[in-house]
Amino acid sequence: MIEALIVFLALAVIFGLLLGYAKIKFKVEGNPVADQIDNILPQTQCGQCGFPGCRPYAEALAEGKSEVNLCVPGGHEVMIQISEITHREPKEMDETKAPPDEPMVAVIDEDLCIGCVHCIKACPVDAIVGATKMMHTVIEKECTGCELCVPVCPVDCIDMVPQRPTPQTWHWPEPIANSLERRS
Amino acid sequence: MNALVERKPLKHRLIAWLGKLYPMAKRWLYHFHGGVFPKYHKSLSNRHPLLEDYIPDLLTLPVQQHLGVATEPLVQVGDRVLKYQRIADTNKGLSAPIHAPTSGYVTAIEPRILPHPSGLPGLCILIEPDGEDQAQPLTPAKSPATPQALKKLVHEAGIVGMGGAGFPTFAKIPDQRGCIEHLIINGAECEPFITCDDQLMQHKAQAIWRGAEIVAQSLGIPRVLCGIEDNKSQAIEAMNDALSGLSTASHEQTSFEVHPVATVYPMGGQEQLTQELLHLEIPSDKHAIEVGVLMMNVATLAAIAEAADEGKPLISRYVTVSGMGLEHPFNANVLLGTSFQALAEKASPKTALTYPLIQGGPMMGISMHSNNVPVIKTTNCVLANPPEAVEPAMPCIRCGECMDACPIQLLPQQLYWHSRSHEYDKVKDLSVFDCIECGCCSFVCPSHIPLVQYYRHAKSEIVRIEKEDAAAELAKQRHEFKQARIEKAEKAKKARLQAKKDAVKKQAAGKKPATGAAAAKARAAAAAKKAAAAKTTNQSETSPSEKPAQTAREKAMAAAKARAQKAKNQADNAPNTDSATTSTAEDKRKAAMAAAKKRAKTRQKTETGASPLKASDNAQSESDDKRQRAMNAAKQASKKGESSVSQEAGTKADTTAPTQDKRKAAMEAAKKRAKARQMQQTTPDQTESDQASDTED
Amino acid sequence: MSLPYSSPYVHNASSVRRTMLQVQIAAFPALMAHIYFFGFGITIQWGLAVITWLLVEYGLLKLRNRPVKPFISDMSGLITVTGIVFCIPPESPWWVIVSAVIFALVFGKHLYGGLGYNPFNPAMLGYAFVLISFPAEVTQWTLPTGISGHHLSFLESAQIIFTGQFPPGLMHLTGATPLNELQTALINGASAAETWASSRFNDPNLVNGWFWVNVAFLIGGLWMLYSRAIRWQYPAGFLGALALMAAIFHAIDPDTYAPVSFHLFSGGVMLAAFFIITDPVSSSTTPMGRLIYAIGIGVLVYVIRNWGSFPDGIAFAVLLMNLFVPLLDQYTQPRVMGHTRR
Repeated sequence: MIEALIVFLALAVIFGLLLGYAKIKFKVEGNPVADQIDNILPQTQCGQCGFPGCRPYAEALAEGKSEVNLCVPGGHEVMIQISEITHREPKEMDETKAPPDEPMVAVIDEDLCIGCVHCIKACPVDAIVGATKMMHTVIEKECTGCELCVPVCPVDCIDMVPQRPTPQTWHWPEPIANSLERRS
Repeated sequence: MNALVERKPLKHRLIAWLGKLYPMAKRWLYHFHGGVFPKYHKSLSNRHPLLEDYIPDLLTLPVQQHLGVATEPLVQVGDRVLKYQRIADTNKGLSAPIHAPTSGYVTAIEPRILPHPSGLPGLCILIEPDGEDQAQPLTPAKSPATPQALKKLVHEAGIVGMGGAGFPTFAKIPDQRGCIEHLIINGAECEPFITCDDQLMQHKAQAIWRGAEIVAQSLGIPRVLCGIEDNKSQAIEAMNDALSGLSTASHEQTSFEVHPVATVYPMGGQEQLTQELLHLEIPSDKHAIEVGVLMMNVATLAAIAEAADEGKPLISRYVTVSGMGLEHPFNANVLLGTSFQALAEKASPKTALTYPLIQGGPMMGISMHSNNVPVIKTTNCVLANPPEAVEPAMPCIRCGECMDACPIQLLPQQLYWHSRSHEYDKVKDLSVFDCIECGCCSFVCPSHIPLVQYYRHAKSEIVRIEKEDAAAELAKQRHEFKQARIEKAEKAKKARLQAKKDAVKKQAAGKKPATGAAAAKARAAAAAKKAAAAKTTNQSETSPSEKPAQTAREKAMAAAKARAQKAKNQADNAPNTDSATTSTAEDKRKAAMAAAKKRAKTRQKTETGASPLKASDNAQSESDDKRQRAMNAAKQASKKGESSVSQEAGTKADTTAPTQDKRKAAMEAAKKRAKARQMQQTTPDQTESDQASDTED
Repeated sequence: MSLPYSSPYVHNASSVRRTMLQVQIAAFPALMAHIYFFGFGITIQWGLAVITWLLVEYGLLKLRNRPVKPFISDMSGLITVTGIVFCIPPESPWWVIVSAVIFALVFGKHLYGGLGYNPFNPAMLGYAFVLISFPAEVTQWTLPTGISGHHLSFLESAQIIFTGQFPPGLMHLTGATPLNELQTALINGASAAETWASSRFNDPNLVNGWFWVNVAFLIGGLWMLYSRAIRWQYPAGFLGALALMAAIFHAIDPDTYAPVSFHLFSGGVMLAAFFIITDPVSSSTTPMGRLIYAIGIGVLVYVIRNWGSFPDGIAFAVLLMNLFVPLLDQYTQPRVMGHTRR
């Protein structure tokens, strides 16, 4: 009886020490959850989640202050990933805000641009170049397709156009799942 | 080496004998792993004579026939071009110029469907031959002596790897002499049906050796090996015979050898042929030239010889036209730009060509989305195989046939599992990028799973994901940078304001004789910022303790407070007009200062008060609000534009041009919006920007 | 009808059905030997098993809403039931084979997702199920004709299987197998050599049925090796390991441990070596993995035979090694060409 007590007490002490040691030894700095979420967010910085950028949304999620289904460009996939990371129930995406089927980029109609710099201020990633009263243009490579510049344009000269595939950017499609092999 | 040569025949005979009992014994005949033995059907096209000098009705020349950057047309629609004339080139990156295959007129420069698996159109130059075949005079180049000269020659002749990859050949050639030990001539041609390299070796063996000689001399290569599969005995013979045509000098400098190799698919792969001939594995993270091996296709070398000795650019190539659906398959020296359909029709198809033709062989070829695509520099075969019933794919039974067949010794079956479940990081870990897409795994799969397509998809998905990740990372960095910049600008502004305030205070202090009173005023003003409760406690606490010394100060303080209060009230109503009512200039200044302070305070309040809450609701409503407003404005603008346009169209009353009109309307809308925004302004940032836009207007 | 989307556009005409049929054909010599030595019981069992297979597979495919024709005609179920039929005694009651087949197909195959998805060998799962559930019925083997002196006719077998009633005067027809006898003797403290010497199976005048059935399996297996239906690693690893274990222990203590030949040609060794452990779905896919898998089974079989409570341990050895397959697949990946090491 006494031996059993001693043995288990000793075991408890040893494991307690081990756990304590592990906590110090393997301590994770910072807020890994926010980083993790930030990594899977599409980084369009579009603000459609109601936060001024992807990072603030990730932080809010990490603190449990926000819903998991707010990232519109990320869509269903990102929502699932977020709910996995935050261990929360997945929620259906808002049907009215669907991500575009193809990647879009903003294009400025340069004949109409009046050089008001509004879009430059709105662009979260500085992908629009230009100066006051000078024509602006979008750096296509850096445009995230967030559409933030579209509403601020006073002359409505910014259009979102889909990026069409060329033979160089074309991807092999996945083999069509035939009737015999059902996708899991 | 000699011992090996002597031993080989016996071993070969033994295995050949064993092969009758056990077919897979053939796998012991070569040095790489796996490989398959498809039905070759090579005699279909090989038994017919070579077709030369065929000029089709229309030549379609895509501006991109190689890996790298597309060229830009140098001709215009309507131009007459001569044979060998350079019609497209660019200096923007890795590319190879394109030359007119015959004389004729440029009828169009427009997108046409390319011989590419995507079936997407790309820019093409269309030439209608005039039948005269009038050539531009050629200037034979000197035999290049340096790698640079060779590179220039090869580039200007527009030569790309003609085995199928289409990598511009000049880019493959090293810059220095002596770093290549082995030049391997790839005459393996392991794909079923294709015999164009076989025919080329039979007809142009001299040119191939001459090309090899040129490359070997300019790069200082000591050994040239030509690997030919042993089912092409005539080609082996022709190549051996043509060896004597080389000068004795070059024979002394370089050893030229013909090596028959086992007939197995994919013997013609770069890694496979290198391993077979040199027993050397090219490390997966290195290029072949880094281990001293340069491999060139027979057709590429023949083209180099023609470019060097006659100055001819690459305008035609040997193409096999074959397949089970053709009555008279043949090989032809085809002008680049000839359509697949025209070639297949010449081979008298058994049934109408309603099925897609295949570019290349049945193992690695690509089926065309349109049969009217042109022959390009990498097209080695036009294959017309009527489609057979495709067996539906069964589930993988893990039999391991694919793994036994893989020439790279990958694990196709595990790659497939992970590709199918989209675990692309694992697919990458299993070295999917070492896959040469030879098709051996799909060929042997008893479940008929389209394995190669899974890998192709996985590869392009991995590339896409990596690109997207890089783009996201860039966007993140840029966004963070922008945030930091805005913050910095705001801080700078605050600092500037503070500095100004301090300067003003100092000035005031210098002017006033009663320094203590001024300081007291300032302090009082600061105290006014605090809550009323704080004020009262402050008063009750400070006054008794400092009573004896600071009565004057107290008075001044009280006065200041009163004034500040007054100023505040005034400021609330209309600061500028009310301040005029005060009599002295000093008072006026003070009031202005107080008003400014008060404004600053309220600003601060809104800022500090709002920003923590901003997180969810405020930002949401704000941005929504913004959006809403913007949308309204935009709608208005567009409506105006529309209405004006319709007016113009309907009644012609408006004399202004439509674009001007639209612009004007837009400007108006902008102004309106700016004003509206000014009214609603809350944060200083917006004020500024709007003011800026005001001044712009 | 169209070409496949991506190359290759040709195929070597192999198919799942072809592979499975090859295995089925290779089992015929053994079937013949079985009939010769043990009577027609096995044909009845086989017929029962095939009927059960068709019914169960049809029902499950319908339940799972999958196409029936391609998944029945792939013949994978046939291989499973054939494996079970050879494992159970030919004169065991009909419900033994039926329950074994049902268990194998339902729990061994379809619950995991059907063809290609089962982690365990379905045949061995079914056999292990009846072995544990009905040990008495499954361990009582029909004695070879040479020993019992009677060749059971088809009707007699049918009577035994379906009614459980032995024809009058034929009660001595079933008994323990040589392996069983050996194990019983060892438990009782007798030595292997003594047992073997006094055994009724050790009569040179009588033909030992199990031995020849094993030889027939060997012949079929060699043909499968030649036609590349199976890989050499399986029989080589399994038989090699079993022989080595037997040789070592026989050399140490010939009294307790039976000789190599006894182990190699008794029980279901050859059946396992060429027909059971070669099931590709539940075994490792890398060459080295296959070899380790087969060696593991060989060692386990020897261990179970000598120190376990079951006379033959093939079913349990296979199921145990099935558990190791993912691990083997992970750690025995071959070196990719152009890479130094994985």
